Amino acid sequence: MNINSYIDLYQVLEDNPTTIEDNRAFGLKHKSLRGKPQKQLLAWADKYKSKLQKPLISLSFSSYLYGITITLVILAFIFGLFSGMGLLSYDGKEPVNIIYFIAMVVFLPIFTMTLTALSMFRINQTKSILMHISPAFWMEKILGWLPSSIKDDIKEFKINPLLTNWIIIKRSQLVALSFSFGLFVALLGVVVTQDIAFAWSTTIDITPETFHQFLYFISAPWRYLFPSFVPSIELIEHSQYFRLGDRLSPNIISHASSLGEWWRFLAFATLFYAIVLRLLVLVVSHLGLRYAVSTSILKLIGTNRLLREINQPIINTNSTQQEALFVPTHDGYEQTIEKFKEYDYDMIQGLGMRYDELLVISDSIGLSSPKHAIVGGSNSLDEDDKVIDDSSGDILLFVKAWEPPMMDFVDYLADLSINDNVKKVIIMPIGTLEDDYKTTDTYIDIWANKLSLSEDGKVWLKR
Amino acid sequence: MILSHPRFAVVGHPNKGKSSIVSALAMDDSVQVSNTPGTTTKRRSFPLSVDGKILYELYDTPGFQRARRVLAWLQKHEVRADKKHEVVRAFIAEHKSDVRFNDEIELLEPIMDGAGIIYVVDGSKPYGAEYEAEMEILRWTGQPSMALINHIDSSDYSQEWKMALGQYFKMVRTFNPMRATFVHHIGILESMSQLKEEWIDDVKESIILFEQYQTQMIERSASLLARLLYDSISMVDKLSIDKDEASKEDKEKIEGKYKDKLRGFEIDTQKRMKSIWKHQHLAIEQDILPFNGLDLFSKESASVFGLTRKELMLMGMTSGAMTGATIDLLFIGHTFFIGGAIGAVVGATGGYFGFDELSDIKILGQNLGKKYLEIGPMKNKNFPYILLGRALYHTSQIANRSHASRDKIDIDRHLDLESVFRDKWLTDDLKNSLEKYHKKFRTSDEVEAEILKEYDLMIKDILRGLINDR
Ligand SMILES: Nc1nc2c(ncn2[C@@H]2O[C@H](COP(=O)(O)OP(=O)(O)O)[C@@H](O)[C@H]2O)c(=O)[nH]1
Ligand SMILES: [Mg+2]
Repeated sequence: MNINSYIDLYQVLEDNPTTIEDNRAFGLKHKSLRGKPQKQLLAWADKYKSKLQKPLISLSFSSYLYGITITLVILAFIFGLFSGMGLLSYDGKEPVNIIYFIAMVVFLPIFTMTLTALSMFRINQTKSILMHISPAFWMEKILGWLPSSIKDDIKEFKINPLLTNWIIIKRSQLVALSFSFGLFVALLGVVVTQDIAFAWSTTIDITPETFHQFLYFISAPWRYLFPSFVPSIELIEHSQYFRLGDRLSPNIISHASSLGEWWRFLAFATLFYAIVLRLLVLVVSHLGLRYAVSTSILKLIGTNRLLREINQPIINTNSTQQEALFVPTHDGYEQTIEKFKEYDYDMIQGLGMRYDELLVISDSIGLSSPKHAIVGGSNSLDEDDKVIDDSSGDILLFVKAWEPPMMDFVDYLADLSINDNVKKVIIMPIGTLEDDYKTTDTYIDIWANKLSLSEDGKVWLKR
Repeated sequence: MILSHPRFAVVGHPNKGKSSIVSALAMDDSVQVSNTPGTTTKRRSFPLSVDGKILYELYDTPGFQRARRVLAWLQKHEVRADKKHEVVRAFIAEHKSDVRFNDEIELLEPIMDGAGIIYVVDGSKPYGAEYEAEMEILRWTGQPSMALINHIDSSDYSQEWKMALGQYFKMVRTFNPMRATFVHHIGILESMSQLKEEWIDDVKESIILFEQYQTQMIERSASLLARLLYDSISMVDKLSIDKDEASKEDKEKIEGKYKDKLRGFEIDTQKRMKSIWKHQHLAIEQDILPFNGLDLFSKESASVFGLTRKELMLMGMTSGAMTGATIDLLFIGHTFFIGGAIGAVVGATGGYFGFDELSDIKILGQNLGKKYLEIGPMKNKNFPYILLGRALYHTSQIANRSHASRDKIDIDRHLDLESVFRDKWLTDDLKNSLEKYHKKFRTSDEVEAEILKEYDLMIKDILRGLINDR
């Protein structure tokens, strides 16, 4: 889990290449990741990042990050090297005051590491002063003013403060480490190539005993393993140096050869405080960054929805089949009559109604006929056939307008029409008793459409 | 072939609402519902599935067309009661390729394969003897059955229907697909589970799933709305300019682009919302997001959904509208190198009322020489309420909509009636809590998924209140 996986996830989320079904299928396939949201998200991003447009933001970002870091690291090393050489420069006349060097390799690291520790505690702050005093932060800003030093895609890429802060912290550690290496190399280089007289000197009134105690304390980490790398009280006494007048203390001159022994102490102090401790902090910041990546993953916008889609069962109620499309082709029926004729009908029939109902209907409409018969409905087909045999002349057929005309009715009409005695069949859709048997055009149209399916010269529709 | 999960065939006379009922029960608005009888010519299956596993299946079927002829055939082969279903099977076998009986075969086949029968009638029309043949045929199949009385119109003949149906069906229920709420829906499922003992567990599980499904849809809607608000409020748009000074056209151009993008977000959300609620076919109309009238003195839709001037003042939201931009030169955003901002605000869109203002327009310098105009995030304090109000209204219209309905919704036409809508969801407490989040959205670099999730949960609660007894 590194910063790249975070950025990839960000980019795939933005790109949003999957459907709910894809995501759920992914969830079902990777059962072992269930309950581990970060892992699910990363595996998901991994799967879909190949679909992203190249180049990946993560690649440009990490190469950018790498470029900047390398630059800073090299600069820091050179800076460390020169600082070291400056501090240790020996003109052959005055001894080199080790106090400066100790400050550089012991106090400066301790101070900056304390700041680092503090900023780790306040890591969540967007605008943390501690971050903003870091050179690693400033380099970024300064480089930003240079034309096109970075690609557009990462310019716009928003990264969460937690991560940014950890990136800065980690990078600061690398830079500091490199600086310390520079110092260390300078120390070794100077020691190898020159014969340096080390001395210590301070304006503050410090006795050699106190100074010894202090150095003894500083060398705690290694004094048991390498007792000889702790400056002895004699050495300290011998190498105290007063800047009064232009003369060296006879002490120093008489012990000139042992003064060089200081370098072992300095080397170990550098190694421990500036390098080993710094390495530890670097490891911590590396872990911190990893942790930040893993928490930041869940803070990316869009992850809630994605996790839900991965983990929630897909419930579907819809049909999986296409609807067989029905396109009504007919419209209207030509043979309609608007008014009843003067004469009565030879027979009045009612489709799907009771006999008494039929009588009431024809009566209330003011029609009379020698014959009434019911068809369809609860009649058997044989009973219908009998009615057909009995039919002749002009026939009025009442149908219930609200009931859809069915093929059963079409069959009956065809059979009736085949009878040669039948001259004319008038279909009359009627409404319910409550509506005084009146009906609406909508219903009549439906009947008209049905009749148009089998145009028959004998069949008329009463509108 | 005997399938293990429960299946139900919705059958009956043509044009009595079979397809509508299936539409509503399956929440699928792709079903053809039509007042032309005979629209459904093939049966269609509507499975309820979880991760692809089918829990129960519903069939929409064509209606009976030649019931008397079928019954006559069956009766010619009269046998002992326990063999009747075999006669039905024989009928199917013999008439498989007979086009005259296409519709009957389509509906009888699933029944003979073990589907329970849901017989649909229209209780707003009188009962008639022609139904008897259909019910008799269904009795011959020997499958468990129930009747559903639908009401297509306002008249009521359900008493005579109940009498008649009672002769043939153990269970008679009323169900209106257009007005059915979630509770009715569950009620019908419960009745369906009673048809056969082996089905009870599966159907009970389905009921639980339906409830989950409902929750899922509300959750998904809430995230969608939360995201809309966040995206709209925090959106920042840029426009490169060649000169040092931005011309009037430049300002108008970026402002226009900005508004179009915001409208685009809303339209996109509406589309997604329809698909969450499976209403892809629903025609719903709403005027585009208005930007004038944000001061709420007009009678535009903004005034219906947004806060009043008084409310805005009470919440201390009018101040700060004219503070102008304080650009943090160095710490702007957490992008690595957004570039130093130079120059100041070149203008705020809209008038000078605190309400009217949408956003500052700033000139920013990037690298060397390159300059651009930047607009956003949304500064207008009322905008979030208008956007959220519109979106909630739209969502509630869709969510409360029956899948059987095929009419279109015209939101702006009903708007006058809905001037109370705001009071249905926006309480004073809610205003304060929402405002906290809107403020965060305005300073977008602080927003993380967790914050959005909290906002999301608030919207979920609002939606629960707005979506009918669900
Ligand atoms: N108002 C109203 N109309 C309905 C209802 N149920 C069905 N309809 C209408 O009745 C007609 C026939 O419905 P449909 O479902 O296609 O019937 P099917 O032929 O049995 O499948 C359509 O125009 C529907 O819109 C209802 O409960 N209320
Ligand atoms: Mg249908």
